[in-house]
Amino acid sequence: MKKTITDQLSLGWFWVSGLLILVILLAIILYLIWRGGPFISSQFILDSPHGVPLGTEGGIFPAIKGTLWLIVLALVISIVPGLLTAMYLSEYGRSGRLAEIINLLVQSMAGVPSIIIGLFVYALGVVTLGWGISLLAGGLALAIMIFPVIVISSRDALLAVDKNYRLVANSLGVSKSYTLYRVILPRAAAGITAGVLLSLGYAAGATAPIMVTAAAFVASSSGALLEPVMALPYHLYILFNEHISLNHAYATALVLVTLVLFLNILALSLSSWQERINKQ
Amino acid sequence: MTYPGTELKEKIISSIIISAATVSSLLLLAMLLFILRESWPIWSQIGVSGFLSGSSWRPLNTPPEIGILSMIVSTVWVAGGALLIAAPLGFGCAIFLAEFAPRPLAAVLRPVINMLTGIPSVVYGFLGAAVLVKFFEVKFDLASGESLFAASLVLAIMVIPFIVANSEAALRSVAAEYRHAGIALGVSRQYLTLRILVPLAGKGMLGALVLAFGRAMGETMAVLMLAGNTLRLPGSWFDKGEPLSALIALELGSTTPGSLHYQALFAAGLVLVLMVMAVNLGINLLLNRLQKGGTLT
Repeated sequence: MKKTITDQLSLGWFWVSGLLILVILLAIILYLIWRGGPFISSQFILDSPHGVPLGTEGGIFPAIKGTLWLIVLALVISIVPGLLTAMYLSEYGRSGRLAEIINLLVQSMAGVPSIIIGLFVYALGVVTLGWGISLLAGGLALAIMIFPVIVISSRDALLAVDKNYRLVANSLGVSKSYTLYRVILPRAAAGITAGVLLSLGYAAGATAPIMVTAAAFVASSSGALLEPVMALPYHLYILFNEHISLNHAYATALVLVTLVLFLNILALSLSSWQERINKQ
Repeated sequence: MTYPGTELKEKIISSIIISAATVSSLLLLAMLLFILRESWPIWSQIGVSGFLSGSSWRPLNTPPEIGILSMIVSTVWVAGGALLIAAPLGFGCAIFLAEFAPRPLAAVLRPVINMLTGIPSVVYGFLGAAVLVKFFEVKFDLASGESLFAASLVLAIMVIPFIVANSEAALRSVAAEYRHAGIALGVSRQYLTLRILVPLAGKGMLGALVLAFGRAMGETMAVLMLAGNTLRLPGSWFDKGEPLSALIALELGSTTPGSLHYQALFAAGLVLVLMVMAVNLGINLLLNRLQKGGTLT
């Protein structure tokens, strides 16, 4: 087999692009650790922002708390409708016309930019319903944002369950809902949980939707639904954009990335576990 | 065999599930209608063409000037530029993963790419602004290094994982016979990939690109922190600009609900979401048609 110049060049192109991406991620992580790491301490994690201007000293505890409140609320709002929609698509609708339309709508919803969801919740929750800038509005915005992610990942997890379980249950005269609840759902549980964790990581890092609906630079983040909260991504944005503290911005970014990557890695290992279950 | 009562219970459960699925999916339409309602005065007073083609945005002047042409141009320029950078790298990496990467390397690279999608956009924006923009300022002696180009560069890194994942899937879905036939004919691995597999997977790879375009257009934080946020019509890739998403995020909090400014931001949001949805639906239709008409060669 003769190797031409084109062959060599294209091979170089494939290798370079593959390795470059590896290098970029490593560079991002290592740079964040190098610049932010020295400022992470128990005080930084567990204290509120202090100093003049505010945020130059102290920590980011209320922002961590606020982000956790936001993603938990988003999960509480979206999990039931998300799972029910996924169950419809995988078990009840299958190839019907309605299922086709719902699939298309969910797919399109996944493509809607997060700032548009923020805009919608701003008009509906913050202004029309009079919630103001609040945890509730931010949780709703994030819930709408992760709803399609939960639907799509749960649907796929349910569809991946071996069809023989359904056939056997059906032939034994077990009702559809019992089969779903006791046979299919347990076998898809790891995959569904993985999708949910992934969507939580996505919500924890989202800035645009909470910037217009929920976030404040200073707040106690007590969990009161109608009060603004601090949040990690927004805190990072303000620390940098208002030139408050570059060091704390790096440290905040490191905390945020650690939180999100932790959720992602957990999700990744759960879904590979799920794959092993499916192969059994 | 069913017991009395079971059938009723099954009916109730299935109708709960059907109605939950229907109602929550209709949320998308509700969102669009709500945004249309909030922006209605703009469409009826200024008109669609006036709003889209006006290049001056001074909503607080008397009389107010409300046109979003500069922002539309910025949005398309930033996203298009990002694809220009991301496409060669993304395709290259997808081909690498599908055909050439040694197994252990691929096993590292795939989760790494997965993780790149997990990094929040505000972190990309922050690093881009703190490192890249600083670098431009020092290197080219600029007063401020923000530009559409800087935004495109960072957006490219953000969309590469999507291009890689979708294109690799497309390459892998090419039927094995083509591969076998190529190998049997004794062509090189590169020739096989570029001349046989890529054309066959072209449809899926094009789809990956277009999906990335839609995602790039809707991205907010990174472009907000990197594009420079000036409301003039950008004349080149290295000018500053303010994409639609950044405009909305920056100005929404300072408007009075019900004012012309507030309504104009909702109109801008409607334009943005319709642009993104048109791109996504357009590619679906295109792919379906291609599916019927054979391959993309």
